[in-house]
Amino acid sequence: MNTFEFFNQHFGKHLVEQQGKPHEAVARALIASHMLASGRRSRLSSGWAIVKPRMATMQLKLATPSINYDERTRTQAFLFELEHWIQTPTLFMVFDKKPLSVTDLFLTVDLRAVRICTPVGVQTFDYTQQSTELSPQYHRLLFRERCKNAS
Amino acid sequence: MEKLTITATLATPFVTGGGYMTFDAILAGTLFDQIGDVDEAHAAIPIQCTEGLYHASAAFFKPLDYSSIDFVANLRANHSLDPSLIAKKPDGKTIHKAIGMKRRRDFGAVMNTYSLICANSITCCDEGDRSQIENLVAPIYFIGTRRASGFGEVSSWEIEEGVSDGLTGSDKKPLRPIPEAAFTGDKTSLRADTGWRPAYWHPADRSICYVSELLL
Repeated sequence: MNTFEFFNQHFGKHLVEQQGKPHEAVARALIASHMLASGRRSRLSSGWAIVKPRMATMQLKLATPSINYDERTRTQAFLFELEHWIQTPTLFMVFDKKPLSVTDLFLTVDLRAVRICTPVGVQTFDYTQQSTELSPQYHRLLFRERCKNAS
Repeated sequence: MEKLTITATLATPFVTGGGYMTFDAILAGTLFDQIGDVDEAHAAIPIQCTEGLYHASAAFFKPLDYSSIDFVANLRANHSLDPSLIAKKPDGKTIHKAIGMKRRRDFGAVMNTYSLICANSITCCDEGDRSQIENLVAPIYFIGTRRASGFGEVSSWEIEEGVSDGLTGSDKKPLRPIPEAAFTGDKTSLRADTGWRPAYWHPADRSICYVSELLL
């Protein structure tokens, strides 16, 4: 399974035409503007997306009905997914003003190597371990949220 | 082809931008410098290859110290930037945004952070042609990235008879990234989405693999 084929098959095909090599179609989906539910157009420039086989969920409300929309925060959505991990390849994406780069897209297939794809690079960490001061930002955020929920 | 253990003794710490630094990648880089063609360079790697998977392990080392190091690269867009390198609009024809004087000021110094590893040596296992490998590693004086800054200096190479095929260790754990379909070892090993064949940096050469450790 290649990350870009996975992205296109379960998410990208709802956003752009599938022409050229898989990673080229992914790049188009990440930089192109898309029709929002509000009728305006926008890039994927805020919120988050979680892509699993046959199910893509995101925060930014697009016009396409083929994607699920969810208003939870990034941390809440990622934490729920990781706490209910079912051993299936998953793509965790964070969107911001700076477009997400195709080179920073990685699938997560193991809780010991969770990969959060952000516009400033991919963050990799072992979710089964406690975070430390040196851990990536999302490891620290998710661990803090887990502790809060447990108490 | 014979099983080999290759050890590079290091004179300076080495720098990586991530990845497993497999031995076939080290040879592919050297061959590309000589040949100048990516596909020919990969085809000339003197290591056993099974359906694109080279029998060469990642670089293993005992770190004396781990830290990070920053380098500043200066980007000057107003020199002679090739328009083909600038992102296009979705129609594939027009440039996404023309670079005016205001935007040119956005280009400039960019800081990149890398991992800096201090180790006495690195070791790789592989299954390959000993004499060709000896010839290829002899002129490699630096490994890793930021070589021109003096990092990753190799003081000597040692090639000796090995016991591993470069794919799995005696504990059946992977010694390098191996795609799921090709892996016959311990299936409880760590899995990750990573490059498994040269060119390791290219998105098309990535797949879900069994990997040796969390080194991504």
